[in-house]
Amino acid sequence: MTVSPLRVVVADDDADIRTLVSIAVRRAGLDLVADVDRGDTALEQLGILRPDIAILDVSMPGLTGIEVIAALEADDDLRGIRVFLLSAAVTDAARQAGIDAGAEDYFFKPFSPRELAARLTELVPPAGRPE
Amino acid sequence: MTLRELLTRFVLVDTPSPLLKQAPTTIGVLAAVVITILVPGLEFTDDAAAAGGIWGVIFATVLATIFTATQKFDRLTLIIPCIDLLAIGFFRLGTGASASVFASLIILPVIWIAVTPHRRYILLAAVGTSVALMMPFILGATLPDKPGDWVRGVFSPVVFAAAAAIVNEMARQGRVQITAIRALAEERDLMLRGAVDYTNRLRDNEERLQAADRLTRSVLDAVTEQSVVGTDVTGLVDVWNPGAERMLGLDATQAQGKRYMHEFHLIDELLDRSRELNYPPGETVLNPGFSALVESARLGQPEVRQWTYVRADGSQLSVEVAVTRRVDENLKTVGYIFVATDVTQALEVSRLKDEFVGLISHELRTPLSSILGYLELMRDDEDNPLNDEQLQYLGVAERNAYRLLRLVGDLLFTAQVGSSSFTLDATDIEVAPIVRASVESATPVAAGAGVELLIHVDDDIAIVSADAVRLGQACDNLISNAIKFTPRGGSVTVSLANEGDKVVITISDTGMGIPADELDQLFARFFRASTATRAAVPGVGLGLSITKAIVTAHHGELDVVSEVGAGTSFIVRLPAKRFVQPA
Repeated sequence: MTVSPLRVVVADDDADIRTLVSIAVRRAGLDLVADVDRGDTALEQLGILRPDIAILDVSMPGLTGIEVIAALEADDDLRGIRVFLLSAAVTDAARQAGIDAGAEDYFFKPFSPRELAARLTELVPPAGRPE
Repeated sequence: MTLRELLTRFVLVDTPSPLLKQAPTTIGVLAAVVITILVPGLEFTDDAAAAGGIWGVIFATVLATIFTATQKFDRLTLIIPCIDLLAIGFFRLGTGASASVFASLIILPVIWIAVTPHRRYILLAAVGTSVALMMPFILGATLPDKPGDWVRGVFSPVVFAAAAAIVNEMARQGRVQITAIRALAEERDLMLRGAVDYTNRLRDNEERLQAADRLTRSVLDAVTEQSVVGTDVTGLVDVWNPGAERMLGLDATQAQGKRYMHEFHLIDELLDRSRELNYPPGETVLNPGFSALVESARLGQPEVRQWTYVRADGSQLSVEVAVTRRVDENLKTVGYIFVATDVTQALEVSRLKDEFVGLISHELRTPLSSILGYLELMRDDEDNPLNDEQLQYLGVAERNAYRLLRLVGDLLFTAQVGSSSFTLDATDIEVAPIVRASVESATPVAAGAGVELLIHVDDDIAIVSADAVRLGQACDNLISNAIKFTPRGGSVTVSLANEGDKVVITISDTGMGIPADELDQLFARFFRASTATRAAVPGVGLGLSITKAIVTAHHGELDVVSEVGAGTSFIVRLPAKRFVQPA
């Protein structure tokens, strides 16, 4: 019996960061189903694709990562999506605001792709982990 | 001497002069002389006696003139009517003795004597009269032989004495009345002078008040960039300066006595403040909205707070309002003064600064995130492992990227200081672990630079209210600076000690030192000491300004002691919350 890998949507307005996150997602053995460059597009894709995980930049055109979380929390069908935030902010207050909004975790830029991958791997049930 | 002065001196209507009193007698005797010469049947019966009488009156007149001229008005002048009496006695003797028609002249000096205060002068008048009438017998040294003569010598003086007594009494009453009138007049003068004084004082006071009013008005008028509004305790406006006119869009006549101060405030802010204050409290709470504005000032604590003014046209304005209490002479609150400054621009500047900080944060950190992230991917690529040389190049790239990241962090921090986004996350913490951690993390760098890194920590445990991350940053900065500026073979000593109610962290090095004339600029942004630039020590001059800002934000002090060629000590003093004795 095979367990299908967790499905991930990535959103960041910087293409290079988006690629970097995507690489970390794949290294964690997860399934990247979409990567988008706007907050509003992200919310749209999340609604369509219903992934398990969303990795969102806080500061994006359209909607901010925090606003996307708020929209997900307000929707019974989407509330279960686990959200990770990435931010160029530097203060603990900004991190706390993200956690309070409902984010699973909060990564400051620059972040280590290795650490992000490790954190994502923790989420995968042991049976589904890649060898 | 003017005519008026002359008249006053010789005539003296109020207090008759001796000359004036003498005048009737002189005139009377001269008239008698003329009548005696002119009227047939009248004659001088005894020329010598008549001449003596005339000379006597002349002598008395001369004496009266002298007394008047010398302003001598005392009782001594009574000698004059006495001389007159004797003289008239002689004159009567010279004009027919008891048959003389001029005996009545005696009444003139008698009146003079009689008006003199004191009743004893009535007796003098009687005796004088008697002497004058009995003159023929006194001179003849014989006694009167006819009973009529005796009667004349006694009866007439009694009648004259009675007349004198009446005159004396009338004069006394007259004097009493005059005295009373004078007293009244003086009293009136006094009151008049008092009234004049009072009027003058009133006028002076009024002038002073007007001057003070003009000063106040000109000061209020000069304040054009701030609105100054005065109200009574209910908030009704009674002072409205041009600044208020400009800021709130109403002139003084439209506001004074017609509008309440809280009407110019955003109602939601007043309600929020009222909720904060748990209204309704207090005895001056006539108007809850107004009370929210003045609550602090009412309790005697002047307050500065940000509010939003609503202009007459409905537009809004961000202001900072200082509220103070107005008191009367008994220190009772009679109203409030509101001085408002337009802070729209300041808020805009602050907002732009925050925006700039956000921009720096995002725009500079994002590319650095990519650089560092991809470098890490290269390092971790197990499929295509890098050789040693490539790893070394990668290390250089990473090191410089981190250096850039630190610089961005420093710039960001510098921009944050003084803006609303700079806050300390302060908790009660021990200082020693923070200092130890900084020393520990600097140890590899010190070893690499060939600098000995020493640490001394007091046994007592000091607790301060601090942001652990920021305080650690300050220690890191000072320690890494000390290592950077100390040549190989030198040493850096970090010590932590307690001095009174302060915790003192001292970082001393044996480095190149800082010239004395540069010490006061040391904490300015982007300043670099000449010794640092000469020795080509890398840096941009932000570390110390940041450290200073952190220490200041902790209510501490940062001092420096330095000697060129010998070394530098940076001393951080932080207020300790308490000290704990080690177990």
